[in-house]
Amino acid sequence: MPAYHSAFNETDLRSIGNMALLPIKTKIRGPAPTSLDPAVDDIIDEAIGLFRANSFFRNFEIKGNADRVLIYLILFIQECLAKLQKNPSLIEGQRTLATHAVQNFAIPGDSNFPLNALYEKPASRQDADNLKQYLSQIRQELAARLPAKVYEGDRPSKWWMSFSKRKFMGLPNVGTQI
Amino acid sequence: MGYSGNNDPQFIIPTCIATRESPANTGKSGASTNLASKRGIDDLDYFIGDEAVANSKTYALSYPIRHGQVENFDLMEKYHQASIFQYLRCEPEDHYFLLTEPPLNAPENREFTAEIFFESFGVKGLYIAVQAVLALAASWSSSKTEQTLTGTVIDSGDGVTHVIPVAEGYVIGSSIKHIPIAGRDITHFVQQLLRERENSIPPEDSLEVAKRIKEMYSYVCPDIVKEFKKYDSEGEKWFRKHEFIHSVTKRPYTVDVGYERFLGPEIFFNPEIASSDFLTPLPEVVDQVIQSCPIDVRRGLYKNIVLSGGSTMYKDFGRRLQRDIKRMVDDRIKAYEITSQARLAEEAQIKAKQMEVNVISHKKQRYAVWFGGSLLADTADFYSYCHTKAQYEEEGPRIARYNKVFGSIL
Repeated sequence: MPAYHSAFNETDLRSIGNMALLPIKTKIRGPAPTSLDPAVDDIIDEAIGLFRANSFFRNFEIKGNADRVLIYLILFIQECLAKLQKNPSLIEGQRTLATHAVQNFAIPGDSNFPLNALYEKPASRQDADNLKQYLSQIRQELAARLPAKVYEGDRPSKWWMSFSKRKFMGLPNVGTQI
Repeated sequence: MGYSGNNDPQFIIPTCIATRESPANTGKSGASTNLASKRGIDDLDYFIGDEAVANSKTYALSYPIRHGQVENFDLMEKYHQASIFQYLRCEPEDHYFLLTEPPLNAPENREFTAEIFFESFGVKGLYIAVQAVLALAASWSSSKTEQTLTGTVIDSGDGVTHVIPVAEGYVIGSSIKHIPIAGRDITHFVQQLLRERENSIPPEDSLEVAKRIKEMYSYVCPDIVKEFKKYDSEGEKWFRKHEFIHSVTKRPYTVDVGYERFLGPEIFFNPEIASSDFLTPLPEVVDQVIQSCPIDVRRGLYKNIVLSGGSTMYKDFGRRLQRDIKRMVDDRIKAYEITSQARLAEEAQIKAKQMEVNVISHKKQRYAVWFGGSLLADTADFYSYCHTKAQYEEEGPRIARYNKVFGSIL
């Protein structure tokens, strides 16, 4: 049984480059369509749910455009956990992650993006802008949701922090400049 | 080792022997240290098993069996001698002996062993059985099975896991596969997980702690992601605490036990999470093994998959294995149905007969081979399968090359 894939691979959606533009439950503005039903898991919930299992895998076969979003998010969670290594309190941690999410980051096609072999370069300037906004949107939403999961009381739980040194697909990060 | 008819072995000791001579000595002057040249009192100055380990400071410790094969028959003879006279405390002249051998053992080794047993000990009778066959016999104790000697044996110990197909008492040698994942790898993986999380474990104890946690808490889960969610929602029920005592300072400390409970045995089903050089999951290997066997026995092999050895004792190990193999087999049958249907006319419906996949776990898994031997040696027919001393004297060690199959017992 190989690593777990996104459930959204089957859905027919618009993509930028070859990353799927998936609906998310968010108040942060961006190009992603908002999904209204709060009971249904979106890609971000899925990424948080699959992170611990998938982080053990070194190989991942991409089965659809949604998988690319999933990979991106899992690697981003990895970055976030690395940020929480210093054991900040809940408020500090939330702040750190929020600033980390809007940090200058690479998009597919940039020279410092680690997965250029698997991701297509956006076709036009406008697409690139769109992709940047979309990624920024999902990064911010994930950074907002993650602390609720990771924190236990006022400190990051060791049950999550033990995964911070794992390297999904052998990659340490997704090219965020620090 | 033990007497037939018992449920558990009387003695479980490591196969190591401690002798007076230094290891360098044994290597160089092989001719002068053989048994014949020194029949003095110092000849009896050695220990075997746990006593040998305890005396390893003053004696030279060696392991006459490596990778399941006897490498030093001189030492093995001494070992047998001590196990018969010191441990079992019996007169070998009055008894029949059942020994076991690994699959693919060389017939010459059987001859040597027969020589030792008939000439040195003068045993009444001897039978050398294949371990996998005995493991199959041990599974008869579980009520689910009919008593056949056809089946696939999955034998997983500390160092390596074997998948051995057996058809009517004969091992299908060409299809045997070995997997470099076994108990030791699980321990190392658990140790690694603990090291990443717990900082209360002193480094000198960490291997011991990992071993204990593996043995006491591990189980096999149906799906890792769901299992992680279970731990999130009902933490109190799944997370455990275990108190250990520091080996040097004797101070107690507690260790939280969590995800490694199911992640440890998971490496059989997802080897990728722990190792980078071996990537085929156990169910897939079993499937490949059976597919490489003659077509007429495959059904029997799928129907009777027997577990043996300590590393197969995790809870639900059998169930998960059965599910995964069944899924693979069903997929293949379906694909076959579709392709063969395409070549036929619409009205000729093809329906393949469902393949029955059964993984049998039973209570005797840990010492399955020994228990199987005990079971078979207890039957009245056992004596007729043995090579007797009279036969040996008539024909010589050659007779031990071939051992009759227990097939006709039932």
